[in-house]
Amino acid sequence: MSKPFRVGADIGGTFTDLIVVHEETGEFSIGKVLTTPDDPSRAVETVLTQTLEQNSVGTDQVNHLIHGTTLVTNAMIERKGALTALLTTEGFRDSIEIGRETRYDLYDLNLEHPKPLVPRYLRFDVPQRTLSDGTTRKKLDTVFVERLIRELSEKGIEAVAVCYLHSFTNPADERTTRDIINQTAPHLRVSISSDVIPEIREYERASTTIGNVYVQELVEKYLRKLETRLSDIGFDGSFYLMLSSGGIATVDTAVRFPVRLLESGPAAGALAANAYGLAAGHNDLISFDMGGTTAKICVIDDGKPLIAHEFEVDRIYRFKKGSGLPIKLPVIELIEIGTGGGSIARVDALGLLKVGPDSSGADPGPVSYGRGGVDPTVTDANLVLGYLDPNYFLGGNMSLDMERARSAIAEKIADPLNMSVEQAAWGIHQIANENMANAARVHALERGKDPRRFPLFAFGGAGPVHAYRIALSLGSPELLAPLGAGVMSTVGFLSAPLAFDFVRSWAVQLDDVDWSKANALLAEMQAEGQQLLTDSGVQPSQISHRREVDMRFVGQGHEIRVPLPDGQLSSGHIDELKQRFDQVYKELYERPGPPVPVELINWRIVSTGPKPNISLTVTAVSDITSASAAIKNHRPAYFPETSGFVETPVYDRYLLKPDLEFDGPAIVEERESTVIVGPGSKCRIDRHHNLVVTMPRQSPPAREQR
Amino acid sequence: MKLDPIQLEVLWNRLLSVANEQQTTLIRTAFSTIVRESLDLACGVFDTRGNMIGQSLTGTPGHINPMATGAIHLLNAYPPETLRPGDVLVTNDPWMTAGQVNDFTVLSPVFRGETIVGYFSNCCHAPDIGGRILSAEAHEVFEEGLQVPITKLFCEGQPNEELFKIIRANVRTPDETIGDLYAQAASNAVGARSLLQMMDEFQLETIDPLADEIISRSERAMRDGIRALPNGTYEHELWSDGFEEPLCIKVAVTVRDEDIDIDFTGSSPQSHRGINVVLNYTKGYASFAMKAAISPEVPHNEGAFRPVHITAPEGSILNCRRPAAVASRHLVGHFLPSAIFGALAKAIPDRVVAGSADPIWMSIWRAQWPQTQKQSNLTLFMLGGMGARQTKDGLNTTGFPSGVGGVPTEVVETQAPLIQNCRALKTDSGGPGQFRGGLGQTISIEQRGDTDWSVSGMVDRTKFAPHGLAGGEPGAMGEFLLDGQPVPPKTIMWMKPDAVVTMNPPGGGGMGDPHQRDPQSVLNDVINGYVSIEQAKTAYHVDIQFNGEENELVRLPEEFELGARSEVRE
Repeated sequence: MSKPFRVGADIGGTFTDLIVVHEETGEFSIGKVLTTPDDPSRAVETVLTQTLEQNSVGTDQVNHLIHGTTLVTNAMIERKGALTALLTTEGFRDSIEIGRETRYDLYDLNLEHPKPLVPRYLRFDVPQRTLSDGTTRKKLDTVFVERLIRELSEKGIEAVAVCYLHSFTNPADERTTRDIINQTAPHLRVSISSDVIPEIREYERASTTIGNVYVQELVEKYLRKLETRLSDIGFDGSFYLMLSSGGIATVDTAVRFPVRLLESGPAAGALAANAYGLAAGHNDLISFDMGGTTAKICVIDDGKPLIAHEFEVDRIYRFKKGSGLPIKLPVIELIEIGTGGGSIARVDALGLLKVGPDSSGADPGPVSYGRGGVDPTVTDANLVLGYLDPNYFLGGNMSLDMERARSAIAEKIADPLNMSVEQAAWGIHQIANENMANAARVHALERGKDPRRFPLFAFGGAGPVHAYRIALSLGSPELLAPLGAGVMSTVGFLSAPLAFDFVRSWAVQLDDVDWSKANALLAEMQAEGQQLLTDSGVQPSQISHRREVDMRFVGQGHEIRVPLPDGQLSSGHIDELKQRFDQVYKELYERPGPPVPVELINWRIVSTGPKPNISLTVTAVSDITSASAAIKNHRPAYFPETSGFVETPVYDRYLLKPDLEFDGPAIVEERESTVIVGPGSKCRIDRHHNLVVTMPRQSPPAREQR
Repeated sequence: MKLDPIQLEVLWNRLLSVANEQQTTLIRTAFSTIVRESLDLACGVFDTRGNMIGQSLTGTPGHINPMATGAIHLLNAYPPETLRPGDVLVTNDPWMTAGQVNDFTVLSPVFRGETIVGYFSNCCHAPDIGGRILSAEAHEVFEEGLQVPITKLFCEGQPNEELFKIIRANVRTPDETIGDLYAQAASNAVGARSLLQMMDEFQLETIDPLADEIISRSERAMRDGIRALPNGTYEHELWSDGFEEPLCIKVAVTVRDEDIDIDFTGSSPQSHRGINVVLNYTKGYASFAMKAAISPEVPHNEGAFRPVHITAPEGSILNCRRPAAVASRHLVGHFLPSAIFGALAKAIPDRVVAGSADPIWMSIWRAQWPQTQKQSNLTLFMLGGMGARQTKDGLNTTGFPSGVGGVPTEVVETQAPLIQNCRALKTDSGGPGQFRGGLGQTISIEQRGDTDWSVSGMVDRTKFAPHGLAGGEPGAMGEFLLDGQPVPPKTIMWMKPDAVVTMNPPGGGGMGDPHQRDPQSVLNDVINGYVSIEQAKTAYHVDIQFNGEENELVRLPEEFELGARSEVRE
C-alpha cells in the first residue's frame, strides 16, 4: 500500500485539531473537534476518522502521524500529577528546596521561590554516597531502600524520583534503587536522574527528574490508549510525538521521558508560524496563537523561533523568570497566558470586570455551546458582538446559542455593572485583548524587539477574531491570517524534517582523546539514527547526519557547540578542532579565550530525513474576479470606530483568490476560524492564500507610564 | 532627540536586555565557581559621561553600586581621548571600587567608528589574588594580595602580557584568575556588540539623551517614593561579632521631603583587622536598602543614587582609611540593609523585612587531591535565612542582601577534593513570628585527601542573632564547628586530615507575634519538619500530636493531629 499522507494532531485544552497532507502534491485537509478531557485519545480518533473519510483517504495510506499536546504542562501547573516521593543521597533531600539561593529580582523584597512538586515530608535521605570521580564512598543500603519503598507503597505513594549525587558519572546506585523499586512495588512509577538528564548540578537534575515521573502515568495511559485506538482503525504507519524543542520522538521515548513533551503543542504552533512566515517572505514575526484555553505568543526572529536550553514551569511570582520549577531541556521560547475563547468573565469584589485565567475548557465550554456552561466567556461575548455566526461555528457542525449567551452576559456582567449587554460584551472582548497585547509586548521587549516592527501572525481558533485589535494595540504594521488558521498549529508538526537527536557524555581533554573510541561512539549513534529513520520510511539516500561536540576551556562551567570534521577522526584533527572551537568562541563572545587547554564534553549526532514539502496547495475552485463576489451575506457587527453595530460584509474565505483586495470593516469566515477586520484597513490575499491586512495609520496610542 | 513614551520603553528595555546578555556571557565564559555558580558579580552599561544607565537582572549590591560609583575613577585615570578601540581597563583598588583586592572591575569603551558612545563595565570576585588566603587576619591591605592600579588589561585588543605575567606569578589559581579576566573582557565586548546593533537599528548617533531620560525618570520615581515617607530621623543599631570584639553599626536615617540622609556616626572605629569597609562599599549596600524599600519596581541606575546621601565618619569601620585591611568587608557591610530596615520600620513597617542572616558565609578551602598531589583552592558561599516579610514568611537559605547563591555540591566536589556530608534545612532555625523567619541550613564538610588542610571561615552572627520585628522573635544564631566544637571564625585554620567542619548559617528573624500565626501554618511546618513539635508548643503555643508509629520512615500529614492553641500567658 502506498502511503503518501502525513498527519499532524494537536490536543489543546478545548479543541483537538488535525491536518492531513499529501506528501507529494502538498494538498491538505483539516479537522477540528472538542477535546475529550476524560480520555483525550477519543477526540483524536474521532477527528482523524472524520477527516480521512471526508477525503476518501484510507487509514492505511497514512505514512505517519505526529502529535503534540499541552496535557503535560497543564498537569504540572494544576498539580494533577502522581503523588510523588523523592529519594536522594543522605543529607541532600532539601536540594530541590534550597535551589540556587540567589534572588531573581534583587530589589523586590516580596519574591517567592518556586514550590517543589514533592513536599518535604515525601523527600527521603538514602544511605549511599558516590564521589565526583564515580567511586563509592558509602555503599547503597539496599535494606533501607526496600523498607522505605514498602512503606511508601503501603501509604499510597504512586511515583518515585531518584536523584543521587554524581549519578551522571556513575549511575549504578540509581539503577540498583530502580531495580529494588521494580521488585518490591512494581506498580510504582520510577524515574532515575541518570536516565532523564545525566548532567551535573543536582538541583536542576532532580527538578527535571521529578517532573518526568510526576506526569508519566498520565502520559503513558493516554499514549497507549491512543496507540490502541489508532491500530483499531487500521492505522499501521509510524506514530511520533513532538518535543518541546520542536524535535520528534517515538512513543516509547515519550513514555520514558514525558517531561520532554512539555509545551509541545505550542512549540508546533511557533514552527508553523515560522514556516508560513518564511513562505510569505517574513523573516520576523510575532506569532499569536489563541485557542480555547490559552494564548501563546512567540517572537520569530531572523527566520527561526528562539530556543532556550532550560526553562521553567509554573512561575508562581508575577510570572517572573526564576519563580518557576527549572526543567533542563531545550525548548522553543514562548509565552503562554490564560486567555482563550473559553476564558470566563466575571465582576470581581471591587466591581471591576475580569477575564480569565480560568477557562470553561471543552466541558462544559462557553454558555453558547449549550452544554451546561453558565459563566459567560470570551466566545459568548464574540457571538453577541456579531463576530461569530451562530449557525456557522466549525462550519456549521456546532451551533451557538445566542440567547443563552446574551442572558448569561446580562445576568453576570451587564446588570451588576448597570450597562447594556452589548457594552458588557465589548468590555469582555477588550479586556481579553488588553491582556494578550500586554503579554506580547513584554515578551517582545524582554528580547529587545520592537513589536511595532513585526507583523502579527494570527492563528488558532480564536486568534483571528482578536488579532486586529491586538495588532492595533501593538502598533503592528500588518496582520497576517493564514488559510486554515483555526488548525494551523498542526502544520508545525509537519513542517520540520523527521529528526532524532543523540548525545553521549564523555569528558576528555583535546590532547588526550582516544580517537578510536570517539569514532566508535559516533558510529553507534549514527547507526541508531539511520535505523530509526529507515524504520519511519525514509530512503537511506535522503538521510543526513550532523556531528557536533560540546567544548570548553578546562575550568569553565559551560560549553559551546562545535561542528566535527567529516569522516574518521584521528589525532591529525586536533589542530582543526581547536581552530573550529576558537572560531565559534570568537563568534559568540567577540574575543578569543585565554591560553588554557580545551576539553570535549558531549558528543552529538542529529540524524535528519528530507525537508518535507509543506507548500500547502489550495485547489482553486473559484473563478471570481472581484472580492465582492465572495460576499456571502451581511450581518451586524460591533466596531467602536463606527460607534456601534454596522452591517458588515461576510466573505467566504474559500472563494477568495490570490490578489483580490477589499477594505475593512469585514468578516472573513472559514470553517474553523473567523477573521475580524476593522474599518480603515486594507485587505488582500497573497499568493499563499494568506489574508494580509495593512493596518490603518494611527497616531501612537497613549501608553501607561512604566 | 525627542523620545515618545513607546520609543523610551522599547529602548530602555533593550538596554536592560543588552546588560543581561553581558551577564550571560560573563557566566558562560567564567572559570571560577564564584562567578559562574554563585553569581558574585555585576554588569552594567554606562553613558559617555560615566553614568550607569542599566544593570543586569541579578548581581550583588556590593558590586553593582561600587562599580557604578567607581567608573568615574577609571575614566579620570584614562580620559576618553586616551582610549583606543579594543582597550580594556582594569583595577582592584578597594577604595575606588568594591572594597577588597579580590574584586576586579573591568571597563571597556564602546567605539562607533572613532567615537566613544558608551561604556560597559563589570565587576566580579577573583578566585584568588595572592597574599594571605582571604581572611580577616591581615593588619594592612598589603598582606591581602596583589593590588592592580588602574591599568590597561588589553591594549587595542592585545593582552597586556606584562600585567598577566605578574598576576599569574602572584596567585594560587593562575588559569582561573586569568580566565575570569578574559571572561570579563568578553562580557563587555558582547554588550558592546549588542549596543552598536541597537544604535544601528534605531539610528541613534548617541545614547546620552536616552540616558538622561532614563536617569531623570528613575530619580523622579525615587523622589516620589521618598516623599511618601513622613519627614523625621529614624535610628537603629546592630551588633556584629567583629574580629576581636563586637562591632557596633549605628545608623540615623533622615527623611527631608524628597531627599534621604543616611549617616553612620556612632559606629565603631576602624579595626586593626581585615573587616574594614571602604565608603564606596558602604554606599553600595546603604543605597541598595533604600532602593529596595522605596522604589523596587523601577530598574536600577544612577537616578536611584541621587536623592540618597550617605556619610560615615572617616576612620570608622564604615569609612576606613588606607592602608586598612579590608578583605572581609562584607562581614560588616552586609549588615547595613538590616540596620537601615530596623530604622525604617518606625516609618514604613510594611516595606521592610526582619533581620536576616545578613553576611554571606564565605569560606576558602585549601586541600590536596589524593594521588596527584595537586593543590586546590576553592571559595564557597553559604547562605542563611532571610527575615520574615510583612505578609509572608522569610525565604529559606537565600542570599540577602547579597543576592549571591551557594555552589551545587556536585560542582564543589568536582572542583576540589572536598566531600559535603549534608546540606540541609535546619529545623527550628527560623525566628518564630506570625510570619516565620526563613530557615538557615547545616552543611558539613570533610576532605578526600590524607594531608593537613585548611579553611578560612569568614562568618558572622555567631554571637548576635538576626532580630525579629513587630513582636517577632530572633532567628537562630550561626554555628561554626570543628569536630563538633565551636572554633573562632575569620582566621585561616589548619586541620588534621580527618577533621569535620560544620557550618550552620543563621535563620532569619520573625515578623509579628508568633501567637498570631495561623495554627494550620504551624501544623504544616511541623509536618514538613521546618518546625519541631516542641517549638510549635513553646514558641507558637500550638499543640500538635504525631499519631503514627515511632520508627516509621514515611509520615503523612494525616498522621498529625492539631490540638487546641494553649492560652497565652501575659
